[in-house]
Amino acid sequence: MKEKRFAIVFDARKCIDCKACTVACKAENNVPIGPESYRNWVAEDPVRGTYPNLGQSFAPSQCNQCGNAPCKKVCPTSATYTARGGIVMVDAKKCIGCKYCMLACPYDARYFNDETKAIDKCTFCIQRLAVGRLPACVETCPTKVRVFGDLNDPKSEVSLLLAKHPHKVLKPELGTDPFLFYINQGGRK
Amino acid sequence: MTFMLKRPGQVLWFAILGTIVLAAAATGGYALLAGHEHVYNVTRGVPWGILISNYVFMAVTCSGLCMISSLGHVFKFHNFEMISRRAILMAILCLLGGFFSIGMDLEHPLNMIYTLLTPNFSSAIWWMGTIYGCYLLVLLTEFYFLMTNNHKMSVITGTIGFLLAIAAPSVLGSVFGLTLARSFWHGAFLPVYIIITALVSGTSLITLVLYFHHTVLGIDFTKHEKGLIRLLGKILAMMLFILLFSVFWSGIVGLYGHEPGRYQPVMSLLTGSLSVDFWLFEILIGLALPLYLLMRHNRTPFGTMIASLLALVGMFVMRFDMTVGGQLYPMRAQAAELSNGLFTYIPSAGEITIVVGSIAFSVMVYTLAEKYLNLDVKVEGH
Repeated sequence: MKEKRFAIVFDARKCIDCKACTVACKAENNVPIGPESYRNWVAEDPVRGTYPNLGQSFAPSQCNQCGNAPCKKVCPTSATYTARGGIVMVDAKKCIGCKYCMLACPYDARYFNDETKAIDKCTFCIQRLAVGRLPACVETCPTKVRVFGDLNDPKSEVSLLLAKHPHKVLKPELGTDPFLFYINQGGRK
Repeated sequence: MTFMLKRPGQVLWFAILGTIVLAAAATGGYALLAGHEHVYNVTRGVPWGILISNYVFMAVTCSGLCMISSLGHVFKFHNFEMISRRAILMAILCLLGGFFSIGMDLEHPLNMIYTLLTPNFSSAIWWMGTIYGCYLLVLLTEFYFLMTNNHKMSVITGTIGFLLAIAAPSVLGSVFGLTLARSFWHGAFLPVYIIITALVSGTSLITLVLYFHHTVLGIDFTKHEKGLIRLLGKILAMMLFILLFSVFWSGIVGLYGHEPGRYQPVMSLLTGSLSVDFWLFEILIGLALPLYLLMRHNRTPFGTMIASLLALVGMFVMRFDMTVGGQLYPMRAQAAELSNGLFTYIPSAGEITIVVGSIAFSVMVYTLAEKYLNLDVKVEGH
């Protein structure tokens, strides 16, 4: 059986910017309180149009669990590694806190955790996957913006969604081989 | 050198430097215990601040000193042999000061053991740390052989040191140059350009060392020493010219295509939050004034010293702007407070204390060495 390759497919049109994903992630993963401590986020795109014809989109995101992760390449102590399922992890006990990975990440997905004294990032809630549960952000989303699954299973929901809908990844020109996919705005019926 | 003991103000000199070093060590210790977030102004958006830029400045200066010193005992330009001991000693102390600065920036310096246990050969920082670590050992060995007048071994270690003096700053440049996410840094430019800045810093510092050694001790410059200072001034002027072109083209490339992540930091240098740094310190103080002083036909050792001092100040600020500039452009749209769409960073008092302390450490140990070691080199035929 082929090894799993986890991914998340986003339908950002469904995002209502409630930030439940960020709250659930913080609670699940003991992410410290503070404006700079978060593993996932919802960015607010600028308001479009002129009153009264207005529109706004939101851009939820997190670590792209890159296949060619720049953060992993730059880590001097190999504290960053790729676990099974393609999940990019940080071994806190090896981290020297040089923060080079924070600079190398083109998605700003990493932060320094004041409590563990190491760099921290999204792990797709690997502790939940181990017991057959979904990542907290996926499970909590009221409008099901995120769909999580195994891309190496052609019958998984993520594989079917990507087959059905035009989609994109963030900053493909950097060659990071990201595993967060965004269904094109207007591409879903 | 016992002559220095009798000079008034010497106790005050060491007291001031010692206090600064202790203050820096205490600040660094407090930052490690209490958490960097309570002492430093670095953020998620700008994680590398003045401690890193100061490390780059001091490490690069170390390499420049070594390159200049090599002209004497490796390449046999006899004029330069008289500065070999002082240059290598200062190189060692600059590197140690730089290591202190970057060490205080690391959240977990003790975990450095994993650079040996689980090394990552694709990491530019791993290569930089390893090469600078080896380089320090080579410099210490070279200094030992210079002090014991072991000419053969000092040439061998000097040659290895020269090769490392080129490689080390170049790899240091690659730490920035290989960061694909940061357009302002990314590319082959920095690993080459930083070697030029190393020569500027190294030449400036050895000129200052030579000048102040004589003036503080009240020694007159010999004809040969005057000639050497004049030659150092010429080298400095040439390097500053090359650097001027590097800065010019770096700016033009940044402006030309409005490339996101490169254009904005360049504009920040030209008209934004870094503009005072750029125009006043980098261009006027660091490049234009030294060039003007060095172009004068009747320049004195004093004029060369002033030019060197100004160039060195400019180099320090240039390293700061290079380090901070590359981080100003956010990687994504976000809610964090931005100024004109860019992050800002101003060093904290704690960070400045550590930087001043690392420089004070180098100066203090150097003056102690001048007191207790014989750093003069007798050059044949002079």
